[in-house]
Amino acid sequence: MITASGITKTYKQRGNMLGARAVPALRGVDFTIEKGGAVTFIGESGCGKTTLGRIVAGLETYDSGDIVIDGTPMSSLKPRHRQPFFRRIQLIHQDPYSALNPTRTIHQTLAAPLALRAKQTGRGKAWMEERARELLALVGIDPGYVLPRYPHQLSGGMRQRVVIARALTVDPEVLVADESVSMIDVSLRLGVLALLKDLRERLDVSVLFITHDIATARYIGGDGELYVIYRGQVVESGPTERVISGPVHPYTQSLLSAIPVLHGVERPGPERVVPTEALNEAHSDTGCLFARRCPFRTDRCEAELPALVSDGEQAHACLHPQRRNVIPVEAVA
Amino acid sequence: MTRTSAPGVRVKDLTVVYKTPAGELPALGGVSLSLAPGTITGIVGESGSGKSTLALSLLNAVQPPGRIKEGSVEIDGLGNVVELTGEELRRARGRQVGYVFQAAQNSLNPLKTVGKQLLDLGRSHDFDDLPALLKDARALLGRMGLDGGRVLDSYQHELSGGMRQRVGIMFALVLNAHLVVLDEPTTALDMITQAAILKIVRDVHHERGLTTLIITHDMGVAAEVTDSLAVMYGGRVVEHGPTTEVLGSPRHPYTKGLIRAIPRLSGDIDEARALPGRPPTLGTIPKQGCVFRERCPMRIAVCDTVDPEPVTRDARTVACHAVGRPATPIVPKEYV
Repeated sequence: MITASGITKTYKQRGNMLGARAVPALRGVDFTIEKGGAVTFIGESGCGKTTLGRIVAGLETYDSGDIVIDGTPMSSLKPRHRQPFFRRIQLIHQDPYSALNPTRTIHQTLAAPLALRAKQTGRGKAWMEERARELLALVGIDPGYVLPRYPHQLSGGMRQRVVIARALTVDPEVLVADESVSMIDVSLRLGVLALLKDLRERLDVSVLFITHDIATARYIGGDGELYVIYRGQVVESGPTERVISGPVHPYTQSLLSAIPVLHGVERPGPERVVPTEALNEAHSDTGCLFARRCPFRTDRCEAELPALVSDGEQAHACLHPQRRNVIPVEAVA
Repeated sequence: MTRTSAPGVRVKDLTVVYKTPAGELPALGGVSLSLAPGTITGIVGESGSGKSTLALSLLNAVQPPGRIKEGSVEIDGLGNVVELTGEELRRARGRQVGYVFQAAQNSLNPLKTVGKQLLDLGRSHDFDDLPALLKDARALLGRMGLDGGRVLDSYQHELSGGMRQRVGIMFALVLNAHLVVLDEPTTALDMITQAAILKIVRDVHHERGLTTLIITHDMGVAAEVTDSLAVMYGGRVVEHGPTTEVLGSPRHPYTKGLIRAIPRLSGDIDEARALPGRPPTLGTIPKQGCVFRERCPMRIAVCDTVDPEPVTRDARTVACHAVGRPATPIVPKEYV
């Protein structure tokens, strides 16, 4: 189990003649990933969701707050002692075209981490070969075909599966999937998503899913938790299906309203919400972060920063929470 | 500026080949498609389906090593675009056919302000009244929710992705073209920005009386804005019809599979199913028989040898041996 509390991260831009500028990427984020669970982060680009994924995978530092992995706070350890903990959390990169070394065959790509694993567990070369084949079969590709090949000889979907197989070489407990299907052909996307879902069930790994497409979150982690992030702050969270069917924060409602409606199959939701302005990082930091774009803002919103309040299951950071029916409904034939 | 009405487009038996070391390979294999005047038509397909090649053919702009081997593209008021060359072709592009390129966010000149690029465009089309052109551009940008004056004075790096995309649309419309082609207009944009751009496309389409063609890989984008939808696979249009009908009761097995593979917000999410196999590339498109047969659940013997002809019935066109017969009952219920 991984618990993150109060994670903050601020990127500092180097000073120019106007002086240095600090860009807050995360403003105190709390979440928990249960063993075998699914947690999804959604938000627009620049909301801090990718930074969060990299922090969880141990690839990025954070300014304050703490990550507790199975009871051990990472802040209590020296960086080199954190490594065995973070090894259990593997990141699946967004772009399968650049995540694999083009000069190495898939066999070589998998052999490097497997050799490390073999050394740790005192096993030999035969085990490595067998494990490589086993992992490729697990992710649904033919080991005999793929192993001797280079990445450029494989399709996007196959490459993404190889990337997942590579992440599995070190027996991780958590997979962090950052927009892992956005670069793949539409008809192959669901296959990769189904694989992640299947791995959750078969290997009992947890999945931290980072995306801007809520419908895929529903497919992969419908039974898990959903966190909606806006400008580095969690604005709404709760069980995925519950947040999707009953969002109370206007930002969540805007995201859900923006998803295209498959006319003919479904009808648009009756209360679709459209933000009044586009995302602008320069918007004021006082008051509610979403206030400037919110169609329901009041004077109070511009002065007061709402805290995340929970009813036990669903939490929101809004001064005027209101449930709205924004998602499409199935058309009746 | 003269006000012309929305043109119709008729693509007939269009074959486009790319020259490769393995010989000339067809990216489009005899495509026929009509765009009714004043409608928004969507073309959906995966990478390698030939959708961008088809869009480029509308400008007769297929680049070597590709070439239009046979077929015609008739545009009202322009004639057969395939036969246009040189100066005539250059004038048609922009004036009559506006094109918003794939990744339009990155197709602006980084060294010139948007306004300078607009003036270049005006001069290359022999506009005498450049101030009027600027005024039109400002009005168009204002229509799309931007501060026109500020945008014209900006370099591309000063604009966000969504703003650049709107600038791309402005460039396609400012010469008063009435046929507009948008190639992947919202790829790489966020959901909320995408919804805003799609609304703009729809509103501007109606206000200016255009014929619009949208190329996308995203069924949702097509579903949201189009009146009519064509589905491409392996260089062929496998299904074409009114959008709500194609989505609501798809007939071609590829369309069915594709719709089923989309995770949706409504309905039972566990009904989503992946499509087996993978799309063909230029080199792996079968030379004979149906291009989709390897992934098809309805495959029959004839699919291996004969490429199915598109058959039109009640405004719906489908190219499939298994559904081309009126005797076969179509049960759309499963997908509704």
